[in-house]
Amino acid sequence: MRRAQTSVQKMLAHASGLQSVQVGEIVYPTPQWVILHDGYVEIAHKELSEMGYARVAHPERVMFVTDHEVAYSTQRALLRGQTIRKVAKDWQVGAFFDAGRAGHGHLHPMEMGLIKPGMFLFAYDMHATNFGAVGALAIPVSSEITSVLATGSVWVKVPSTIRVNLKGQWREGSHPRDLGFLLAQGLSKSTWGVAGDYRLIEFAGEALNTMPLSSKVALCNSITEIGVASVLFPPHDAPYDCLSDQEAEFEAVLDFDLSSIEPQLALPGGPDLASPVTKALGTPVQHAFIGACGSGMYEDFVDAAALLKGHQIHSGVRMFVVPGTVETQKRLANDGVLQLFMDAGAMVLPPGCGPCAGGMMAPLGSGETSISTAATNHSGRFGPKDSLAYLGSPLTVVASAIRGEITDPRSLEMAHV
Amino acid sequence: MFEEALIRRGQCHVLGDNIPLDEGIMPFSFAINRITDPVQLIPHLFCGVDPTLAEKIKEGDFILAGKNFASGKAHMQGFIAMASLGLSVLCETMPYKAHRGAIAKGVAILTGCVNLSSFAQDGDDIEVNFLDGIIQNHTQSTRMQAPALSPILSKLVRVGGLQSALKLHIELHPEMKLPRLESQA
Repeated sequence: MRRAQTSVQKMLAHASGLQSVQVGEIVYPTPQWVILHDGYVEIAHKELSEMGYARVAHPERVMFVTDHEVAYSTQRALLRGQTIRKVAKDWQVGAFFDAGRAGHGHLHPMEMGLIKPGMFLFAYDMHATNFGAVGALAIPVSSEITSVLATGSVWVKVPSTIRVNLKGQWREGSHPRDLGFLLAQGLSKSTWGVAGDYRLIEFAGEALNTMPLSSKVALCNSITEIGVASVLFPPHDAPYDCLSDQEAEFEAVLDFDLSSIEPQLALPGGPDLASPVTKALGTPVQHAFIGACGSGMYEDFVDAAALLKGHQIHSGVRMFVVPGTVETQKRLANDGVLQLFMDAGAMVLPPGCGPCAGGMMAPLGSGETSISTAATNHSGRFGPKDSLAYLGSPLTVVASAIRGEITDPRSLEMAHV
Repeated sequence: MFEEALIRRGQCHVLGDNIPLDEGIMPFSFAINRITDPVQLIPHLFCGVDPTLAEKIKEGDFILAGKNFASGKAHMQGFIAMASLGLSVLCETMPYKAHRGAIAKGVAILTGCVNLSSFAQDGDDIEVNFLDGIIQNHTQSTRMQAPALSPILSKLVRVGGLQSALKLHIELHPEMKLPRLESQA
């Protein structure tokens, strides 16, 4: 009898041309996409060129995205952009999204339907785990992406799966990022007796039925930094059976009731340093932004705008809004949401990573404090080492930007935008 | 030219649990300064654990560790030094990214080796067959079985890591040295 398999086992088996795979097995899966962002194309090209490679193994599967440095703020960035254009042409890559053409590479490929349920792909950047939101398996391989470019694949160890069952509905003021921070903390500290290190986190449960893609993206994104293998929502409608079997073996099963989740912060230092927002109320902030790969979708801005309506951004705060993609930006502009942010004193930045990509745009100053929806907040992530970066949900960020200090979003009344 | 035997014999150095990459295996300053020259790195290997260890370690020796070997941010300087010395590692567990990084640098590693501190002492003469996981302690005339290194990872280690594998790949696929013609698209 065939052994029951988890989704990730089925997807890696399928991509590796095998009937089934075991947890811990090493395989060479064939990706349907190989995605690199503008921060690594030049480096990968240089490394492979120096070894004599004048082409890549399967250019039609290679996708270049431009999100880290979109509106070149240095001459170096401008020259890098020229190099990337030349490499895209020389290598004849299958998909090239240049500056200003699409937006964040962890978001627009889903929006455009290029990433589909059941797909397997390799990416340079760890936050490609976002694609789990549509039921695609993305394995980030960092600098080993050069191996994928040169040979078509790189080794993957089949991870064990932690299933996270979700039920209930969010209470007002709470948001998927809040649960994401709590999950990151618990998996990082092994609070539930299981570590997150190279585990596949699979979400399940009745709460998924009414969950928009933006909420799934927020959950995928928030738990990535602790070193999970990847994150998956059930790949319904895949062209082959890749849903976890009922009898599949999970390393752990965790249950959460969304109605029990309170607004959280990730304290400066990492997305896993979760703390109830109430512990840091009143901390002055000078910098705030909503956007980046975990919170750059339409709903993230609409939800924040509902809190912002009727208020102004505090005079001591530089507030930035970074729509994840060009499509999202257009939709927010059409619906008057960007107008609302601008009327309140916020600045709109071009679609992409925003300040989260190393503070190359709209950085944090020395001694300043920021609150944002960034993907991470390690020391110096978007400013000098002596700046402090808190993370929060779009609701907590906008509430804090209004008051000029860390604020519980439940203390502001939500309007209907 | 890349062949490295995966049946190895040498002296062992027994370390404990939770040896971090930064400040345990290699001072963090080398990572932050992006120093990748093994000649500069080798004198500082394991100085956070024992400042005299680097002097005692010889080419081809074994590092025996416990749980969570090479923890923390996956900085590769320690593995660059270890690969250059041809050191091998036996340990109970290590974080995935560190394991992956070590293999990429060509360091032979067996994980899942339990109770190594009671199996061997500093200076014991041990022999390891990475392909079947059998570890022999010639000093104490004992042996133990550990999970073998997978065939795929064995191949990578044997050729000297990922960079060497890519250099080998292009020699086997010379067409990769030529630009792709538009007509091939």
